[in-house]
Amino acid sequence: MLPFAHTPDRNNSPSPTNFGSAPSSASSSVTSLSSNVDMDKPLISMDSASPAYAQSLPSEIIYSILKQVASMSDVYSCSLVCKAWCYMALEVLWFKPGFQSTKTLSRFCSLLRQDPSTMTFLYPSMIRRLNLSNLSEDIDDPVISCLATCNRLERITLAGCTRLTDNGILSLLQLSVGQNLISVDLSDMTNVTDTAILAIAEKCPKLQGLNLSMCKDSQERSDSVQIHDESIIRIAERCPSLRRIKLSNCVHLTDRSAIALATHCKVLLEIDLMNCNLITNAALVAIFRHCSELREFRINQCKNISDTAFTQSVLASKPAGVFHQLRILDLTSVNSITDQSVAVIVQAAPKIRNLILNKCDNITDESVFSICKLGRHLHYLHLGHCDKLTDRSIIQLAHHCMRIRYLDLACCVQLTDRAVMELAILPKLKRIGLVKCQNITDDAIFSLTNLSRMTNSLERVHLSYCVKLTEHSITHLVSSCQRLTHLSLTGVQPFLRRDFQHFCRPPPRDFNDQQRSLFCVFSGKGVRDLRAYFNRLRLLHGDIAGAESHTLQDFHRPMLQSLQNDTVYMEVDGDVDGDGDNDIEDMEDV
Amino acid sequence: MVQLLSSDNETFTVDKQVAERSILIKNMLEDVGESDAPIPLPNVTAKILKKVIDWCEHHRGDPVSQQEEINDRKRLTEIDEWDQKFMEVDQETLFEIILAANYLDIKPLLDIGCKTVANMIKGKSPEEIRRTFNIVNDFTPEVRQFGIISHCYFLAMLST
Repeated sequence: MLPFAHTPDRNNSPSPTNFGSAPSSASSSVTSLSSNVDMDKPLISMDSASPAYAQSLPSEIIYSILKQVASMSDVYSCSLVCKAWCYMALEVLWFKPGFQSTKTLSRFCSLLRQDPSTMTFLYPSMIRRLNLSNLSEDIDDPVISCLATCNRLERITLAGCTRLTDNGILSLLQLSVGQNLISVDLSDMTNVTDTAILAIAEKCPKLQGLNLSMCKDSQERSDSVQIHDESIIRIAERCPSLRRIKLSNCVHLTDRSAIALATHCKVLLEIDLMNCNLITNAALVAIFRHCSELREFRINQCKNISDTAFTQSVLASKPAGVFHQLRILDLTSVNSITDQSVAVIVQAAPKIRNLILNKCDNITDESVFSICKLGRHLHYLHLGHCDKLTDRSIIQLAHHCMRIRYLDLACCVQLTDRAVMELAILPKLKRIGLVKCQNITDDAIFSLTNLSRMTNSLERVHLSYCVKLTEHSITHLVSSCQRLTHLSLTGVQPFLRRDFQHFCRPPPRDFNDQQRSLFCVFSGKGVRDLRAYFNRLRLLHGDIAGAESHTLQDFHRPMLQSLQNDTVYMEVDGDVDGDGDNDIEDMEDV
Repeated sequence: MVQLLSSDNETFTVDKQVAERSILIKNMLEDVGESDAPIPLPNVTAKILKKVIDWCEHHRGDPVSQQEEINDRKRLTEIDEWDQKFMEVDQETLFEIILAANYLDIKPLLDIGCKTVANMIKGKSPEEIRRTFNIVNDFTPEVRQFGIISHCYFLAMLST
């Protein structure tokens, strides 16, 4: 059996008898194939005694080079070049193996099960990162136990591996895997309990990131979330380097967990306590006191939190700007907070980029005046359901926070065209949500398309239940905003006609007949097709100059079919217009 | 201004801001404080040091890049035009620059050097790579290596 006989480069490899014998045929034609260098210059000495730089480089340099090789098949070729390159190429190849199918996964497992003493290279030690979430259905305890020899593993993602139990995690950690682990993602692993978390606390002293978020479905059956204070407190005590922890929907956690994390983990950058309903002001006071490095903080739906958490904490007493690292703050449905809290928050954290105050319906224009102080730092602002807001503050906002990219004002029912006209000056606005802002008329939409900068930036526009809108302004919006990829017009009468509905995407399955009849959302191809259809209509009507002309008031009126007369409001949580766009989904700018 | 002394005893006078592109020199300056004595760089020859200083001069205003781009494999292989020209040197010089960048701790220069070499590897067979870099095939004909290679192969297929 010849060693390399089955490898893809068998035609190019020197015969096996040459292996190990000094200068092989290779050195006689050094320059003939070097493509990236000037052929006329002498590249390196032809003397066979000359050092082969590429071979005698320190291994860290070889590794740095191979890391820059973009295609894995090229890295593979490098592994066959010489011994020094082989080891480093294997390190690169095994750094983050990915699995597309169960079959490759099981081959991988059988490889890992081999006796390490029979392996020429210790492959398990080369694996640094593993993400098994795409095969979550197939991951069970025996599979995960194979990984126990991966003693240099740094990151592991097991999101959604619902078949995995505590036993799997315990067997993974039985040897020394925990020593180097810095990031563990166990989100949506409904069978994991405190036992596994306690083992992680004991075995992973370098842990920096832990994701234990549970999805909403499991939260509805609270018995399926099996993580309690006991294990989180141990994590806090044993993992002082913890920087990111996500605990959304871990509904059993109380202030004890939050306070332990705050006091033990001084470098926390990210805390997610979404829907941890038992959390109270005391937890926030502790977090603000100890974690001044905080970058991302999510306490949405923690209904027990009130103004005191902010006004009676170090946010109010420490010098302004003490939380200058804070970029993301999500306070959705923390609805007892008032303008006082918002003022204190902006004062302490003057560089917030994403601020989510959705459903904080006690706040007034005063809060928005405070928010204006964030100035150019603010990119993302959600004020949905803050129905006390008026044009006065939104106009100010448009003038102070010029870099806003995403703005949601759903159900801010007092807003009028004046506010939207001022917002139209925002040069980077990509998404605007005006769902149920029922005072809005065509004039507002026309103003959005006045500046070419705006028409070049707008991507998503939510106008469901803006019942005064007509096809005039929408036609213009769709025709002039070439980047538009999402447009929701649910409940807007002029669009509930069959020819437009043709381009609309199908309504969500759980909608009843009446909801279906009002549903009107265009996205992706739907928007493009709608645009093309508008163009055809325009030509048909001989209006080559464009439908933007304000004077054509009754342009399409004759074709209009009135399908529904009463407006039915439906609401999926966080998705005001039921357009499947959860409005907080996109954080790509962060 | 800062004085730098190459391994072959040539002295270079450069702006402090330029010299501090090298984290090694930056740390040395912080440790030693203000001093007129030249900083000895025993691992870098005058020829290579001059190249490195040229690069630092040209990139003096660059923002110090954060670690963000590390994960983006695609973008990594792109080199800007000036740097491409800068790296059009013989292989010996190229590897010397890489070694100097590593020693002096100038991460962006190290990356560009490594990318240049990586681009020379692109699409080549193992034998072509050996010829390009004058590398001797030093594998021993152990049967076990069939195992290594098949494992490499297996993973190469998995990871692409």
